[in-house]
Amino acid sequence: MELTDIQQDALLEIFNIGAGHAAATLSRMVNEEVMLSVPTVQFLKLAQAAELLGTTRRISAVAQSFNGPFKLEAILIFSENETLEVVRLMIGEKIPLHELTDLEQDALIEIGNIILNSCIGTLSELFATEFTSSLPAFRLGTSEEVLGAGCEPDDHVVMLLHVDFGLERHNIRGHVVFLLDVSSLERLKERVNHFVYRAMGTDSQGAAH
Amino acid sequence: MNESADPIATRLTLLTALADAVRCGLIVLDGEKRIILWNSWMVHTSSIPKDSAVGKPLERLFPDLTGRVRSAIDSALESGYPSVLSQSLNKSPFPLYAKKGANDAGYRIKQAIEVVPMDSDELPRHCLIQIADVTAAVAREDLLRIQAVELRQHTYLDGLTGIANRRRLDEYLESELRRSKRSGFPLSLIMIDIDHFKTYNDTYGHQAGDRCMVQVASTFSSVLHRPADLVARYGGEEFAIVLPDTDIHGAMTIAETMRKAVAALGIENARAKTTGIVTVSLGVATAEGWAREPADLIAAADGALYTAKHEGRNRICVHDPAHACGIVSPTHSLEPPTQ
Amino acid sequence: MDNKKNKKVLIVDDSRVSRMMIHGFIQEQRPEWAVREAAGGVEALAMVSDELPDIITLDMNMPGLSGLDTAQKIKERFPAICIALLTANVQEGTRNRAEALGLHFMEKPITAEVIRRVIGLVERS
Repeated sequence: MELTDIQQDALLEIFNIGAGHAAATLSRMVNEEVMLSVPTVQFLKLAQAAELLGTTRRISAVAQSFNGPFKLEAILIFSENETLEVVRLMIGEKIPLHELTDLEQDALIEIGNIILNSCIGTLSELFATEFTSSLPAFRLGTSEEVLGAGCEPDDHVVMLLHVDFGLERHNIRGHVVFLLDVSSLERLKERVNHFVYRAMGTDSQGAAH
Repeated sequence: MNESADPIATRLTLLTALADAVRCGLIVLDGEKRIILWNSWMVHTSSIPKDSAVGKPLERLFPDLTGRVRSAIDSALESGYPSVLSQSLNKSPFPLYAKKGANDAGYRIKQAIEVVPMDSDELPRHCLIQIADVTAAVAREDLLRIQAVELRQHTYLDGLTGIANRRRLDEYLESELRRSKRSGFPLSLIMIDIDHFKTYNDTYGHQAGDRCMVQVASTFSSVLHRPADLVARYGGEEFAIVLPDTDIHGAMTIAETMRKAVAALGIENARAKTTGIVTVSLGVATAEGWAREPADLIAAADGALYTAKHEGRNRICVHDPAHACGIVSPTHSLEPPTQ
Repeated sequence: MDNKKNKKVLIVDDSRVSRMMIHGFIQEQRPEWAVREAAGGVEALAMVSDELPDIITLDMNMPGLSGLDTAQKIKERFPAICIALLTANVQEGTRNRAEALGLHFMEKPITAEVIRRVIGLVERS
């Protein structure tokens, strides 16, 4: 399950590019500066990830399934408070979570859709792989419920990204979780290796210095 | 009898009829973003007939399409990813209108949009744009939101008089006292009680009593002009006036003005001794360092109110921390001491 | 021709893979150029004082001193130096601020084409 430093670095850089593109899209929509960055990537078992995300509090999430040379489920997660903040910043009103209407949920779904499409899109572009995707779906519940909703928990690994979302001098931390089964994870690692090799390869073929 | 028509043509006719029967907009674009399918819903809302749409690039029909819509289409066609465009973040991207005669004809309908890739084995990738009219849903949600806000307001308002209630007063006094301590500006409180109110109710009935209360409350409100000043019903026939950034002399002046204004109403209270009309007694206190909590300030104003009652009603009394409470009857001067 | 003289490049990015990629593309296109790397803003400032490069590529999104702040500090001391900011997050506001500081703005992901343009920046000047 472990990745080498350089593989981790590569993944982080790829997701940062994806996050950057998503931020640019979001900022055009709200006419505010939006900063999105991915400070860390971790690999965990499902149960560990659920615990890290907090087992007692409720979280809201936008989930999409991607299918290609490997399958993964991508989930953008905000805690209850963070959800309210994001909705308030993007729509401009402070609305209690239980009052979050369908149409505001739709806004959250759109934000998730933009971020997830962007992350996987960048992965796809840089790995030269093609994915199809399901429509985004909204989930609300405990971390176990949200993570477990779409898959067989036992053989799944979680790639957990911390995402810092900054808008209007507010900083919110959300998370993007990628759920992969073990064989998908192996294939992802292969692609990362390939990507790193290509990056190093041009260097090693260059003139000596 | 005719041989049944070519089954493929039949299926196509059926599918076209299906697209036209569906109650949302359906647009199918080919790889070059030209319109392949344009259903009846689109015709009705955009006023663009089928033969003006089919075969044309979407861009040409809608040159002002937002960047978000364009990139969603690109994303579907190039990467094969679906996009949702919520109405809250994308206000009516397409120029579509409600039927003529509807209440809001002339306004763009509110749209919830999905842009999804259409992949099949035989054909190159196409793109489906699905548009739902969510105008009614938005209107319902706006109404609910307004009602929720009103409901919240009612928890702060007294049902009878329409002024602030006790809960609001307690919260306001607490926050203003804190602010007063931070800023150093004085906070004044006036506690007011309607004289011989039980007698009034006994004489004229409770409905008249209610009406009287409403009049008195509105008289207090009319004396105040600053938005930060608060009139609240403390309970029963007692009222409280919160005056931020007001010193003892300012508060005394306002209290006396209120006393005179209520007397000027001339509401008959036949069995009220001395005056024969509805009057009020007022206790004034100003927090200037000695009040640590709202309860301290209330106790001081209440104490002054009690003294005013005790000394004959229809007067103001002021809490003075340095001396015993000073009594000011209606005839005494209220000029602040010359500096 | 003066412009074809060997140039000195400083790559600033917290991602090692990113640095490798930029370095690699530059080596491919201009094998005789001298390339140095810094992993962050503070290190970059030290290296610039040590030996002035002809062009600096700066990642916007770095922990600690951000790309924009690093660029600002460098420009204060060496106003004529050519700086290219690399970012995936291209927004009006940031772009305008960067251009006001006299910085060039390039989009990530880093490709041969992007590096061609970066090279063009210093060769044209």
